[in-house]
Amino acid sequence: MRPEQEDTSQFPALGRALLFLDDKKNVDRIVYGLYALCTGLFALDFLYDKHTTFGIEGVPGFYGIYGFVMCSALVIAAKWLRLGVMRPEDYYAPRDTQHEPYPEDQLERIDYDA
Amino acid sequence: MPEFFPPAYLFFAAALILPFLPQGRLRGAFLLIVPLVAGWLVWTLPDGNLMPVRFMGLDLELLRVDKLARAFGLIFALAAFLGNLYAWHIRDSVQQLAALGYAGAAIGAVFAGDLISLFIFWEGTAITATFLIWARRTTGAYFVGMRYMIIQVTSGVLLLAGAALHYSETGSLAFETMTLGSTATWLMLIAFGIKAAFPLLHNWLQDSYAGATITGTVILQSFATKMAIYALARGFAGTEILIWIGAVMTLFPIFFAVIENDLRRVLAYSTNNQLGFMVVGIGIGTDMALNGAVAHAIAHILFKGLLFMGMGAVLFRTGTIKGSELGGLYKTMPLTMVFTVIGAAAISAFPLFSGFVTKSLIVSASAENGYYLIWLILLFASAGVFHHSGIKIPYFAFFAHDSGRRPKEAPTHMLIAMAIAAGLSVLIGIFPQQFYMLLPYEMEYEVFTQTHVITQVQILFFSALAFTVLVRTGVYPPELKSVNLDTDWLYRRLAPAVVGAITAMITAAWSLGAGLVAGIRRGALDFLRYSQGPEGRLAHVWPTGSMVQWLAIILGVMLVVVYLA
Repeated sequence: MRPEQEDTSQFPALGRALLFLDDKKNVDRIVYGLYALCTGLFALDFLYDKHTTFGIEGVPGFYGIYGFVMCSALVIAAKWLRLGVMRPEDYYAPRDTQHEPYPEDQLERIDYDA
Repeated sequence: MPEFFPPAYLFFAAALILPFLPQGRLRGAFLLIVPLVAGWLVWTLPDGNLMPVRFMGLDLELLRVDKLARAFGLIFALAAFLGNLYAWHIRDSVQQLAALGYAGAAIGAVFAGDLISLFIFWEGTAITATFLIWARRTTGAYFVGMRYMIIQVTSGVLLLAGAALHYSETGSLAFETMTLGSTATWLMLIAFGIKAAFPLLHNWLQDSYAGATITGTVILQSFATKMAIYALARGFAGTEILIWIGAVMTLFPIFFAVIENDLRRVLAYSTNNQLGFMVVGIGIGTDMALNGAVAHAIAHILFKGLLFMGMGAVLFRTGTIKGSELGGLYKTMPLTMVFTVIGAAAISAFPLFSGFVTKSLIVSASAENGYYLIWLILLFASAGVFHHSGIKIPYFAFFAHDSGRRPKEAPTHMLIAMAIAAGLSVLIGIFPQQFYMLLPYEMEYEVFTQTHVITQVQILFFSALAFTVLVRTGVYPPELKSVNLDTDWLYRRLAPAVVGAITAMITAAWSLGAGLVAGIRRGALDFLRYSQGPEGRLAHVWPTGSMVQWLAIILGVMLVVVYLA
């Protein structure tokens, strides 16, 4: 459903205010903002007196590089892990809740479209 | 009248009264007032052993109050209040009673001064919590509940065995700091370890948190694991092996969390990771590290409760909590989104949120005590938790690709519960020194140093950068309808298969043996029938003459034998 076709007037005000996130251009702007912020944070390492415990902390940008590299490694390793451990949703059926729909009588679905 | 009342029994008394109250506002209000009164009782309890009891020759201490127990008692009362507020709409007596009993048992356990009453409350939490899973009332939930109860009761039985051995060795049942070494202490460590979700003993956590009811999970996550953290802090503070166990605990769940589709299971994996931080703190065992473990347990009850509330609200409105089915919910559930993001910021330890002021104590303690490798692991795990709890949870539920779902905002009582949890998470983050005063041990720690804040912001934003780059380049694994095998496969698939194979082998051997026996018996019977049966040689009706003839022959033979002799 594309936003320009959708009647959004009934949405909560805060939700309507955030609809700009649907526009890809705005998402790009946020991403560029993040790039700029990270560059700034990296540069900050040269500008203040760091109090460290371990020698490696003194390396400029250590925390940034460590965060970036380890998170990327985490995701790539997890992708490999999927090759070994991923199974269909009903693998443990019927002795599991993963394949079951949540009991409807314990829900309260209300849709804006309705 | 004594100047104190044991808070655990307030919950049990309330559970007795509850069935007589009509469902609705009155019962809802009652369920909110009880934890508040309990919190006040905990707050006003004087220090000391307040209820020594001699029972069957054993010295029990039902109410041992000190700063450590009080800190946990307070947060448990608050968690019960928030859980019951979140469950305001529930009209199910089973869940209401289970919640009261569960909270009461957990509070009883942290104030138990001896191992026997600890055991009783320990098992109390196991049994009451199971009903929060069964209340879902599906086939799958029945099996999840059975697995949960078997594992939790096993933990209690190990605790009892350890307590009995400990008593025979030392003659004391008091629950104090122990030195790991004897069988008794190992049994108790494993008992605590099961409840604290040590690696390889952890699967009940993901299983049950994803299987319980929407409100049940919020209540479930507050007590059992934190009670185990309390027990470890009380019994095994400074036990070196815990540092390594905790480090492994912070590491392996983050890999599973990245590929898990069920967002409540993702949160359960992240609970596992956060418990690891607490276990490391307990293992280091300095005042600051122990304070860190306690502080992080308290903060975690709030922010993880908040995250489970947010995901619960999504499940409540959409009927699913699979990342592959969700997305774009920020448009119609913006408040839930904002509260979830606050919870995400708190668990990710953004400065000015609670996780930052609590986790820092543990990470700094590891650095100060020279655990270089542990410090690196904790740093990685911190980045990892931001990755899957901080970004993945809000991103795949509320943003990502638009699922086309337009559910209404969460009900008001859920929003209020989330707002309180979010508010407290922020307050703790802004006023750390006031929060530190609640902690059991004396310490001097300044959390907002320039270096600390800047390095923390760096690691978080560069982790976010990694996520962004990986998503935009398509490297990030998409959410897929799936389940992932974890070590629970060993007892859910392998063990039944092995038992099945052994059963089949025994059955085959049995039927082979039984066939053999039957064959021999049939042969014997056939032979008997042949010789003795109606047609048998020996069963013939012989004429009298032949008998006389045989007698004559025998007599003749005897005569010859006698003559020769």
